[in-house]
Amino acid sequence: MLLTLFGISVLVFVMLRLVPGNIADILFDAAGMIDTADKAKLEHDLGLDKPIVVQYGEWINGLAHGDLGYSYVSEKPAIDEILPRIPITAKLAGLALAFSVIFGVPLGVISAVKQNTVLDYFLRVISLSGLSMPAFWLGLLILMACVAWFGFIPIYTDPPKGFWDALWLFSVPAAAVGFRSSALVMRLTRSAMLEVLRQDYIRTARAKGASDRTVNYRHALRNALLPVVTVIGIEAAFLMGGLIVTETVFNIPGIARFLVEAIRWRDYPIVQNLVMFIAAVAVLINFLIDLLYAVLDPRIRYAG
Amino acid sequence: MTAKLTALAAAVMAVASIAVASIANVQAAEQPKHGGILRIFHRETPPSLSIHEEATFSVNIPAMAIFNNLIIYDQHIPQNSIDTIRPELATSWAWDKSNTALTFKLRQGVKWHDGVPFTAKDVKCTFDLLQGKAKDKFRKDPRKGWYDNVTDVTVKGDDEVTFHLKRPQPSLLAMLASGYSPIYPCHVSAAQMRTHPIGTGPFKFVDEKQNEYIKLARNPDYWKKGLPYLDGIEYTIIKNRATAVLAFVAGKEDVTFPTEMTAALEADIKKQDPTAICELKPINVSTNLIVNRDKPPFNNPDLRKAMAMSLDRKAFIDIILQGHGDIGGSLLPPPEGVWGMPPEVLKTIPGYGDVKKDREEARAIMKKLGYGPDKPLKIKVSTRNLATYRDPAVVLIDQLKTVYIQAELEPVESGAWFAKVARGDYAVGLNLTGNGIDDPDQSFYENYGCGSQRNYTHYCNKDLQKLFDEQSQMTDVAKRKKLVWEIDKKIQEDVARPILFHARTGTCWKPYVKNMTIMSNSSYNGYRFEDIWLDK
Amino acid sequence: MAVTEIVPAPAPKIERVETSWSRLRYYAAAHPLGMIGAAIMVVFVFAAIFANFISPYDPIATSAATTLKPPGAAHWLGTDAMGRDILSRIIYGARISLAVGLGSTALGCVVGVALGLTSGYLGGWVDLVIQRVVDVLQAMPLLVLALVMAAALGPALNNTILAIAIPLIPYSARVIRSNTLALREQPFVEAARAVGMSEFRIAIRHVLPNTVAPLIVIATAQLGAAILTEASLSFLGLGVPEPHPSWGRMLSESAAEYVRTAPWLVIFPGIAISLAVFGTNLFGDALRDILDPRLRD
Repeated sequence: MLLTLFGISVLVFVMLRLVPGNIADILFDAAGMIDTADKAKLEHDLGLDKPIVVQYGEWINGLAHGDLGYSYVSEKPAIDEILPRIPITAKLAGLALAFSVIFGVPLGVISAVKQNTVLDYFLRVISLSGLSMPAFWLGLLILMACVAWFGFIPIYTDPPKGFWDALWLFSVPAAAVGFRSSALVMRLTRSAMLEVLRQDYIRTARAKGASDRTVNYRHALRNALLPVVTVIGIEAAFLMGGLIVTETVFNIPGIARFLVEAIRWRDYPIVQNLVMFIAAVAVLINFLIDLLYAVLDPRIRYAG
Repeated sequence: MTAKLTALAAAVMAVASIAVASIANVQAAEQPKHGGILRIFHRETPPSLSIHEEATFSVNIPAMAIFNNLIIYDQHIPQNSIDTIRPELATSWAWDKSNTALTFKLRQGVKWHDGVPFTAKDVKCTFDLLQGKAKDKFRKDPRKGWYDNVTDVTVKGDDEVTFHLKRPQPSLLAMLASGYSPIYPCHVSAAQMRTHPIGTGPFKFVDEKQNEYIKLARNPDYWKKGLPYLDGIEYTIIKNRATAVLAFVAGKEDVTFPTEMTAALEADIKKQDPTAICELKPINVSTNLIVNRDKPPFNNPDLRKAMAMSLDRKAFIDIILQGHGDIGGSLLPPPEGVWGMPPEVLKTIPGYGDVKKDREEARAIMKKLGYGPDKPLKIKVSTRNLATYRDPAVVLIDQLKTVYIQAELEPVESGAWFAKVARGDYAVGLNLTGNGIDDPDQSFYENYGCGSQRNYTHYCNKDLQKLFDEQSQMTDVAKRKKLVWEIDKKIQEDVARPILFHARTGTCWKPYVKNMTIMSNSSYNGYRFEDIWLDK
Repeated sequence: MAVTEIVPAPAPKIERVETSWSRLRYYAAAHPLGMIGAAIMVVFVFAAIFANFISPYDPIATSAATTLKPPGAAHWLGTDAMGRDILSRIIYGARISLAVGLGSTALGCVVGVALGLTSGYLGGWVDLVIQRVVDVLQAMPLLVLALVMAAALGPALNNTILAIAIPLIPYSARVIRSNTLALREQPFVEAARAVGMSEFRIAIRHVLPNTVAPLIVIATAQLGAAILTEASLSFLGLGVPEPHPSWGRMLSESAAEYVRTAPWLVIFPGIAISLAVFGTNLFGDALRDILDPRLRD
C-alpha cells in the first residue's frame, strides 16, 4: 500500500512537471507580458528553480510533517484550501453511491429473474443509455429542464443551511452522477445473479422444492452481492471522473473541480496533495473491499 | 376679463405642465433605495485582487469597487474620454506652464478600510511601487510602461502631490483615470494587496475563496456621504458558461459577468428572460494576427502584404460575432472609439477595401513569389486552445486558402502560449489584445513600441516611434487625431499586427438593478459600483 | 513439427467460439439487442470510412451566409454558428470518435495484454513490479490521469488518444494477468512445457489465444468509455482540437451558447455520442454473453 502511494507520488510529481508551463508562466500569461527577470524571481521565490529531486524531497518531507505548503494562487495554506472541500465532494459521492445501490441492485435482480422478458430488455436499454450519455450533457439537460419548467436552478451558490437543505441541494447532481453508476451496478447485479442462478446449489434448492421467490432473493442475491461489492469499490474511484464534470456543471465547490482548476493553474502544492489524498482513498477502499470479500466469501481465506 | 382668464388659464396650464414634468422627472430618477446584496457571477478565479499586478478584467471587475483613483472616468458616461474625467481622491488638478508637471490637490478626511488616514504619501508610494523604485516589489508589473515618462512624484504636505514628466503627455490623465490606476496604501505590503486588498473605495474586501466566491461589503465610512447604496457585492465564480447563464435566467444572479456575453448568448438570455436588460458594446479588445517578421517565410514584406490582402474582415465579423463587431485599425473605430480611423481613411489601406480585388492582387503577388494553386505555401497558424482564439483562427485558415496559403491550426495550451511567442516559435499567431483605455499612447507604445514587453512581434519602426512621441505631446485634440490616424494607417500598411476585428460583447442585468452603466470603449474602467442600487 | 502434434489442444470451450461462425450467428439471433448494437456500430463505421463520399458539405468550411440555420432541406441537421453543416461534421466526427475510441482502446489493450501476460506468466519479481505499476495507474482516477496526460502532451489528436489509452492499461492488464495465472497451471501448458517448448512460445501460442475472449469483452466496454472520456476532456477544454470535428467539442462548446436559440447544436452531437456508445455497449453485452463461457447455458 505504501509502495503504491509512493509510486503515485512520483508519478503525479513527474507528470505535473511535464505539463508545459508553471505557475509563473500562467500568471504572466494572464498579464499578457513576459518579464524574464520578474518571472525568474517569482520562480525562485516559489522554489521552482531548485532541482526536481530537491523539490520532490521537500514536498515529501513536508507531507510527512503535515505541512502541505501554500497554494500558489490564493497564497493560503494548501491544507485550508483542500480540507473544507473534501466533505462537499464526499457528500455528493456518497449520495451518488447510495443512489446507485438503491436503484441498481433491485433493478438488476428483477432484470435477472425476468431474464429475456420485455421488462428485462426495457431495464437493460435504460441502464445502457445511462452508460452511454456524456455526464456533462445529462447534467446540462437536467439544469435546463429545471430552469425551463420550474424556474429554479439546483446549483451551489451558497453553503446549504441544515441537513435537508443539503440533501435537497446535492440530490439533483448526485442523481446525475448516480445514473451512470446505478446503470453499472444494475448490469453487474444482473449478470452476477444470472451466474448464481445457474449454479448447482440453486438448482438443488429448486429441486428440493424451495419456492422460486425464496431461491431468487435469499440464496442468489447473497452470492451475487460479492462481485457487486467489488464493482462499487471500483466505481467509487471511477466516480471521480463523473464528479469532475458534474461539479463543473452544477458549480459545486468540491475537490474534483478544484483539482481541474489547480491543474490549469499549475498549482503544484494543491494538485500533488489532492491527488495523493484521492489515491489514498482509492487504495483504502480497495483494501476494505478485499477485507469485505474475505468476510463475504468463505472460500477465500488468506494464507498466513 | 377674457384676456385675464386666458392668462390665468395659461398660467395654470404652465404650472400643471411643470408639475407633470417634475413628476415625470421623479419617476425617471427614482429615489435610490439602500440595502441589498448585488450578485454578479464571475467567469473564473482571478489570478489575484491586486489590480496593479494584473492585466485582465477578471481582476478589475471585482476589485475596482475596493479602491479609488486620483481621478476617474465618469461612471455613467459610456464613452471614456479626456472630457469625462472626474475628481476622486484628487479634488482638482492643474498642469504647469511647460505642461511637464501635473499637480493634484487631495481630498482630506479620507480613511483606508483599516482606519488609517489617506495622505499624499500613499499616492507617492503607489507610483514608486509601479515604477519599481520602492523597497517592496510587485511580482508582476504589467503597466510599468505607462509611467515611463514620469520622472518623479513629489509630495507637498498631506494634501498635494505632483507628477514630474520628461516631456508633455496629456494622456497621463487618461491613464490615471483608468480602472487600472487605483491608489494603494503605503502601510500594506504588495503581497497582502493580492490576497486581502485594502482601499479607500465604496466596498471593503471581505473574503475570497478559489472557485467559489469573492465577497465585498459596504464601507460605512466611505467619504462620499450616503454611498454606497448596496450592503455588499457577491461574485459567485461559475466557470461553466452554460451553468452561469442558466443561473442568471433563474434569478440566482442579478448581473452576468460584464462584457462576456456573445450576441448569440444574449439572444438566448432574452428568449428565456424577456425582462433582462442587455447591452452589446465594443470592449476595445481587438482580435489580431501576430506575424513572425524575423523568420522565413514572413520576413518577406511582399508575403506579409499578400496575407493581409487575403483577409475578409466582414466575413470574420459575420461568422464569429453574428455581425456584432467593428472593422478598424489598432485603435477602436468610431463612433464608440475616440481615436480610431474613420471609414474613409480605413478604405485606403490594402486589405480593407474590395475583398475580391485585393485577393486578386494578393494571388498575383503569391504567383510572383513562386506559389500557386498546385504549390501552396504551407504554414501553421498557432493560437491559444480557447474557443475565442480558435474560432477566428479556423476562419482565417479558410480565408488564407484563397491566396494559396495552406495553413494548419496549431492549438497551444494557455500556459505555453506566450513562452512560445517569446521564443519566436511561430509563423502566424492569432491573438487578442485588450486595451485598458481608449488612448493612442497606451496602444502605440504598448503594442508597437520598440522594446515594449507586449510588442510580441518585435515590430520596431524608428520613424514611427518618433511620430508616437510627437502625437503624445500634442494638446490640440483635433490635430492629434489626424496624426494618430496617419500612424495607425502606417502600422496597418506595415502589417505590424493586422487587426481582424474589434468585438462587441454584452452584459445583461435584471431590471431591478439600477444605475448600471457599461462603458462603450473599454472593459476595464466602469466598475466602481458606488451608486448602484436594487429596486426590490 | 512432430512436437506440436503432441501438444494437447487448448481448452475446448474457447476453441468452439473461435472456430464456429454458425454458432456466432446463432448467438446473434439469440441476442436481438446485440444485433441492434452491431447495426448501429456498422452505420458509424461506415460513416467514418466513407465520410468524404457521404457527407454533403466540407465539415470545416465556414460561411457567413449559412450561420445558425435550423434543420431543413439544404442542411438536414442545421448549421453551427460558423456556418458549418452539422450533419457533415457529425459524419466526419465519427471518424475522430472512432479513431479516438479504437486507437486508445487498442493501444491500452496491447500494452495491457503485454503487461498482464508477462506479469501473470513469469510471476516472481517481474509480476511484483508490474503489479505495483498497475496499482499506481489504477489508483489515479481515470479522468484525472487523462486530464494531466492531455495537458502534458499538448492538444493534438494523437496525444488525446495516448492520454486516454494510458489510464485504460491497468484494466486489461489485471484481467489478462488473472487469466494467465489460471491458464499457467492448465494441463496443456504443463504438457507443452514437458515436451520442451520455450516459455515465450508457450505464452504466445497457448496462453495468449485463450485470453482473447475476456479481452474482447473488456475492449468493447472500453471503446464506449474512451469515446465518453474524449467528450469529457473536450468539455474541460482538453479534447481533440480544431479543426477536427470531434463530437465532444461540438457538444461541449455549443451547449453553452445556443440552448434556446439553436437547440439542434446541442441535441444532435449529443445523440451521436450517446448512440455510438449505446451501440458499442449493446454489442459488447452480446459479445460477452457469447464469449464468456460461464454465462452460457
